[in-house]
Amino acid sequence: MWRWLNGPGKVFRKALPGSTNYMNAYDKQGNLLRTRNAGREAGSRRNKPEEETLEEDEETAARRDLENPDLTDEEPRDEESDARGGIPKERRSDMRPYPLNDQFSSQAVLSEELREELYTQVAVYKHDISSVAASFSVDIRRVAAVVRLKTIEKQWVAEGKRLAKPYSEAVLAMLPTTPFRPNTANPVTPHEPINDIEVHAHTRPQIFWPASESRQFTREDAAKVFDSKLLPADKRIPLPMLVDLERWKLEGLDRQERTKKQIEADDKARREEDEKVRKRTEWQARTQRVVQGRRWDFKFQDISAEKVGKDGRGKDAVGYRYGMPHEDRKRGMLKIPTSVE
Amino acid sequence: MPRRFHGLKKPRVRQDWSKETLYNLSRLTLPPAANKTFFQQKWLAKSMTRAYHNPYVREGQWTRMFDRRLPSVVSMDHRYLARHDGSEMAGGRGAGAEVQGREDEEGEVGARVTPPKTPYMHMTFWPLERRLDTAIWRALFASSVKQARQFVVHGAVKVNGKRMVYPGYALNPGDMFSVDPERVMFATGARKRKRGSAVSEQDLREERERSRAAKAAEERGMEEGREGEESDVGMANLESDEEREALATKPEEEQDARKAMKNLMTRAKRILEDAKRQLSGKRQQELRAFAQSVRKTMSKYRPETEAAAAAGSESGSADTTIESLETALAEIMTKIPSDTLSTLPTSEQQAAITASASASNAQASPESEKEDAYTARKDAELLHAALERARANPLDVTRPYATPWKPREWMSAFAFIPRYLEVNQNVCSAVYLRHPVARPGLAEVPTPFAGETVGLAFNWYLRRR
Repeated sequence: MWRWLNGPGKVFRKALPGSTNYMNAYDKQGNLLRTRNAGREAGSRRNKPEEETLEEDEETAARRDLENPDLTDEEPRDEESDARGGIPKERRSDMRPYPLNDQFSSQAVLSEELREELYTQVAVYKHDISSVAASFSVDIRRVAAVVRLKTIEKQWVAEGKRLAKPYSEAVLAMLPTTPFRPNTANPVTPHEPINDIEVHAHTRPQIFWPASESRQFTREDAAKVFDSKLLPADKRIPLPMLVDLERWKLEGLDRQERTKKQIEADDKARREEDEKVRKRTEWQARTQRVVQGRRWDFKFQDISAEKVGKDGRGKDAVGYRYGMPHEDRKRGMLKIPTSVE
Repeated sequence: MPRRFHGLKKPRVRQDWSKETLYNLSRLTLPPAANKTFFQQKWLAKSMTRAYHNPYVREGQWTRMFDRRLPSVVSMDHRYLARHDGSEMAGGRGAGAEVQGREDEEGEVGARVTPPKTPYMHMTFWPLERRLDTAIWRALFASSVKQARQFVVHGAVKVNGKRMVYPGYALNPGDMFSVDPERVMFATGARKRKRGSAVSEQDLREERERSRAAKAAEERGMEEGREGEESDVGMANLESDEEREALATKPEEEQDARKAMKNLMTRAKRILEDAKRQLSGKRQQELRAFAQSVRKTMSKYRPETEAAAAAGSESGSADTTIESLETALAEIMTKIPSDTLSTLPTSEQQAAITASASASNAQASPESEKEDAYTARKDAELLHAALERARANPLDVTRPYATPWKPREWMSAFAFIPRYLEVNQNVCSAVYLRHPVARPGLAEVPTPFAGETVGLAFNWYLRRR
């Protein structure tokens, strides 16, 4: 072990400046693969353009391109390579920390500037989270999380609490990051695919469904075949607005009309949401009687005794717990909370 | 909990950043399946994978958590969805019409590009990734799962702002967990050598290695080697006498303002030297220029700062000297316009400069000339940055980790953050965005094993042995 650690493994002792330092980027002797390949490539660039650089099969490469658009095989720019100490940029295969597992690679995290920009867009300019997510190609949930975390950070700064700055700098230098370059030709680098849909359990079985040849059998019909309540993909994606926008563009609507339509759609959605809230409060006022307590409000509501079902143990019924003692007070039974508000 | 956790005879890859794990990872191979029964293969795969995926969770507990339904996603292209309604999939002979004119990689016209397979098997252990201790480790807040577990149990971790003491708490999508930054710095930083000193073992070793290399180079008498190494030796010497003294005393405790500033300078130098060891030539030049400019500024503004220190405090105690220096710097920065060099001098600016110069100490403001003002501002800015950096990463013997803070050894090979977490390193908090998923060509559960091994382990837990 010590021979390895002082020999080929020595490269992992310290981080490579300005680059990631994963195991798959090195060969067995501890040489950086990409410097070797870069040297060879420079010699044979004219006759054989980029064949040995791509070690994985092409389709995964195409896929990874979508995932990590900044990991391209283009020639690194001079100042960037200087910051890295003359080492060429990482290739896709260099991003794998586990040599045996070729299905996992380290993916880029948001850079400090990009986080700041997302926070400004949402918290300062008050832009819609989903539109920010679409324009920066960052998952909606991630945008929300970034704003939440940034808010805490600002709070700490205002309070004068010490941030873990050296830690942050060191860790972000070790990780691949998605940059944000304002005042350049393309400031935004897409971070991740934003329109993911979960593979629904109902769509797993393969179904043989005869349909007549003349029938226009669309995605909607296919969804119905899998499950009567399943929605088609264009409605299940997190940002269905993008599909509508694209459709309007294909229809030949100009920019103003599209914006108008979008505003209309937004208004409609907002109205629907308001209506829902209103209905809910109305229902509560109708069915619930609230008695103000000293510490709590007591809410009374009529219930149906029929809900217990045939065996008297219906899950949503009142009195569900009777006859089914909990074990959580037994010795050795640990009661871990399942959620924290 | 096995007796030999990092045994070398039976190599196990563990969830930590140790050198033993790194070594075991380097020699990890697919277990040979020849002359082994299927049961034996599964057993081996299961024991290998469970040694990595949280062995602190008992087997019975894990088998209850195990789920054969593995989550996955497919990413949709909204442009494609807008262009087609799905009926195009029934075109041609019933499996989609061939696309005309498009060439794939082999040059075959109209061939369908098959998407990569979704690695479901790699997702076998995804329920364990939900656990709080594992998530803390994945967010790079602890150096091992065991340490993360200790942080939780010792009450250093909050979930959604409330203290959570159960390492087995299964995070829900949207949960925010935060670890005490001091603990994170301790877990990820270089370890102290002794209780009373701020120096780390890894720094000492580096120094030793450098001096050894220098000595070897000298013995060989190589011309080009000596020049480079001599400077290193010089650096080591500088550290050994001047810096040691500076490091031993804190500038806040310094009585004399000049001494404090000198101390500060030494420390700034050290900070920069730390950076120098990792940086390239261009950056090094910049840093050297910075150090020079700092020295210049110090000599230029020393009278003023000393006067301020004398005025501000009775006996020039503790942090007033430093603070006065900072206020002086801030003054310099506010007084001197930022872009005087590029723009032509206007009468108003000149007036402002002269006014500010007359308002401040007469001896302190050296010249009202444009260039000098500009360079002074630059110097002040640079010194300010150095101060900021020194304040963010101070030398402090009372801390439980070596200071100035540095990442620990072997960390970089393990440093990655999976996409289901969004981490803010500044506040040592992270949000568990969603459950890990598999997508075509990528599984989000980081596991060091090949698909075959994890597949066998999955089969083991199907309970049909």
